[in-house]
Amino acid sequence: MRFLKPLVLLVVLLGLVPAAAAQERARAKEVIVGFAAEPRSLLPNTIVDWTTNNQVEHMYDRFVDRDPKDYKPAPMLATGWKIVNDTTWEFSLRQGVRFHNGEPFNAASVKATMDYIKDPASKTHYLPRWALVKEVQIVNDSTVRFVTEKPWPGLIDRMAATDFLPMPPKALKEQGVQALAAKPIGTGPFKFVQWVRDERLVLEKNPDYWQGPPDLNRVTFRFIPEFSARLAALLAGEIDIMKDVPPHAVELVDRSGKARVRATVSSRINYLALVNLKPGPMQDLRLRKAVHHAVNVDELIQQVLKRRASKMCGPLSPLNVDYSPKGECVKYDPARALALFKEAGVDPARLTLTLDTPSGRYPLDKDVSLAIAAQLQRLGIKVNVVVNEWGTHLDKIKNRTTGDMFFLGWGPALDAQGTIEQLFQTAPTYSSYGGNKPLEAKIAQAVTIVDPKRRLEAWAEIQQMVRDEVPWVFLWQQHDLYGVAHWIEWKPRADEKVWMFEAKVVPR
Amino acid sequence: MRSYLLSRLVQTALVVFLSLTAVFFLVRLGGDPVLLFLPMDIQAKDVNEFRQRLGFNDPLAFQYGRFVTAAARGDFGESLRYKRDALRLVLERLPATFTLAAAALLLTFCLAIPIGVISATQRGSMLDYLGMGGAVLGQAIPGFWLGLMLIYLFSVRLGWLPTGGTGGAAHYLMPSVVLAAFYAARMARLTRSAVLETLNEDYVLTARAKGLTEVAVVAKHTLKNSAIPIVTLAGLETGQLLGGAVITETIFAWPGVGRLTVQALLNRDFPVVLAAVFVISVTYTLINFLVDLLYGWLDPRTRREVGA
Repeated sequence: MRFLKPLVLLVVLLGLVPAAAAQERARAKEVIVGFAAEPRSLLPNTIVDWTTNNQVEHMYDRFVDRDPKDYKPAPMLATGWKIVNDTTWEFSLRQGVRFHNGEPFNAASVKATMDYIKDPASKTHYLPRWALVKEVQIVNDSTVRFVTEKPWPGLIDRMAATDFLPMPPKALKEQGVQALAAKPIGTGPFKFVQWVRDERLVLEKNPDYWQGPPDLNRVTFRFIPEFSARLAALLAGEIDIMKDVPPHAVELVDRSGKARVRATVSSRINYLALVNLKPGPMQDLRLRKAVHHAVNVDELIQQVLKRRASKMCGPLSPLNVDYSPKGECVKYDPARALALFKEAGVDPARLTLTLDTPSGRYPLDKDVSLAIAAQLQRLGIKVNVVVNEWGTHLDKIKNRTTGDMFFLGWGPALDAQGTIEQLFQTAPTYSSYGGNKPLEAKIAQAVTIVDPKRRLEAWAEIQQMVRDEVPWVFLWQQHDLYGVAHWIEWKPRADEKVWMFEAKVVPR
Repeated sequence: MRSYLLSRLVQTALVVFLSLTAVFFLVRLGGDPVLLFLPMDIQAKDVNEFRQRLGFNDPLAFQYGRFVTAAARGDFGESLRYKRDALRLVLERLPATFTLAAAALLLTFCLAIPIGVISATQRGSMLDYLGMGGAVLGQAIPGFWLGLMLIYLFSVRLGWLPTGGTGGAAHYLMPSVVLAAFYAARMARLTRSAVLETLNEDYVLTARAKGLTEVAVVAKHTLKNSAIPIVTLAGLETGQLLGGAVITETIFAWPGVGRLTVQALLNRDFPVVLAAVFVISVTYTLINFLVDLLYGWLDPRTRREVGA
């Protein structure tokens, strides 16, 4: 080991030791979060993208939040809301809040933000999401009304799904959108410092934050596309938080002495669609039931996902505000499956099905698909698993050119409208099941019911209708696994927000 | 010389144009880019509206015509993903790619030429076997594996080097070693065979007969005369490196052109892909041109051929 000494010396001389070691960061209260990608834009209300929003929401506050306990809409910049009539919602606004440039947050800000979204020139993804809003009316400085084209009880859920981040009206008007994209000005807990493309986004504490200043002085998002390299960066103490630690690496992280894995049950659901929107055996309810009975979901969770998933028995998870606990799970029952095949006059040994799956989009998606194929093979069914690049997978679902089954995830899935309306009707882009007129009529009715109790009952009835139709093999809610440095106290959220206002440095 | 330059310029333009045309049609074979940029609750009519606005509903020939006219003015359009000028996005990544390429090339030359020359002059010796064995290994080891192993050893275990990103000199070490391991291997083997061939020439025999030292024989009479294939390979390697070292840039989170291009391809961000192809093909042909000029300096006979 004689060569080691000069090598170490050389390394030190060249200043090669990684700057700002973890202890120094802990002392200075600076956290580095490792993400796979940089934000696609720093403009709020523009691009629907998990990574983008997670970063933007450090600088811009949500108008309506979700309570981290029950995920119901909760006050944030809006302090309260009420339904004035079928097509009008009134929001009262928090007073004394200021944007990072000193501008006050008020009714004009809410209106300017909606105007920005509704302007086709802004080219925002959110335009279709707010199509039902006719206008925002200013009642007074701290009260606004959202007037909708038709009754829209789901407006508040839409609002709480990170779909409205108020922007500063004066800066928007005087400096323009591009200036705001280059230097964001929000009311959020952190202020923009620097964005080095493809490398890092640096934010600093907003000492005047209305909820009180954050514990952290500085948050840096570092962009490391390769997941193994991200994991290595966590283990080397270069980053302090990363999402999506693979189940097989949990022990490695926990034993590293630098970080530990924090898990949460996500609102994101995974399912195997049994496609009836194209000709094939999945048109037949008996065969869909048979396939569901032939898949052992518990075994998949145990063996493939190492228990890092929570089983679901219907289209909504218990985290969904419209979830109905009624109804039973479809049991793993190969005998029942065989009986159903017989009843339908289909010999499983002569049946060939095709299963489309993405790879690397959801936890172990490809492995799960292969395991499902193996389980179906036990009954003699031949399953061809087609692994798609993500864009191709989406194309195939949209064009209804997948095989008889496909694997997909959906989320954050916190309200019924955002899930059931999108996935169990003929027209929506990523649906796999349709042609059920009574169900579509019920859905169309449910989304207009304003009374919360009646609405919940309507969704419960719809969930039962969906369960009876077995449009999916109902699989599970994902568990999100985060690697978090020992010196940080932070609890992951089910809505996948990595919000560093909620992080604290553990006192030593 | 002027007509030569002019003809090279026309050739360059033609290469760039043909590459862009091929890529323009090839990326469109993959499918529709629109879905990848829209949220999953998007409705068919909105998808169609987006497609219409971005011009993807127009006939392919029409889209191509529009692209060529705009590209001729240097306008490659706006990135679908980042909503910024595509060419600017690519040009912003060039410095990172250039500096990494320079570091890797320097390392390549420093490793490959001495190994190649020593292997050739000491043919059949232990040094030759070691050198060539190392070269074969360098070529055989996949870059991503070597990269991850280096990260594991030097960043996670020893904590000496940063896992990735840019910064000081330290950040260059592992990525340039990974790149050089592959390129140096090829170059060392080529250097060896080129030098071996030259060593058999009559003028080398004459030089030795004159009583020159072996060092002088190799340095003055052999190396320059073996240089043409080496320079050709170096040119190709430089071109490849400047085009962005995709895997290395991804593993080491290096903000270069290669990483951007691959992300753009996966995301079907056509304007960025085409802007990248433009920059890469221009760089590549430029390097080729420089290599051709070097030929003239190394071997005056080629200059006369050009002159004639």
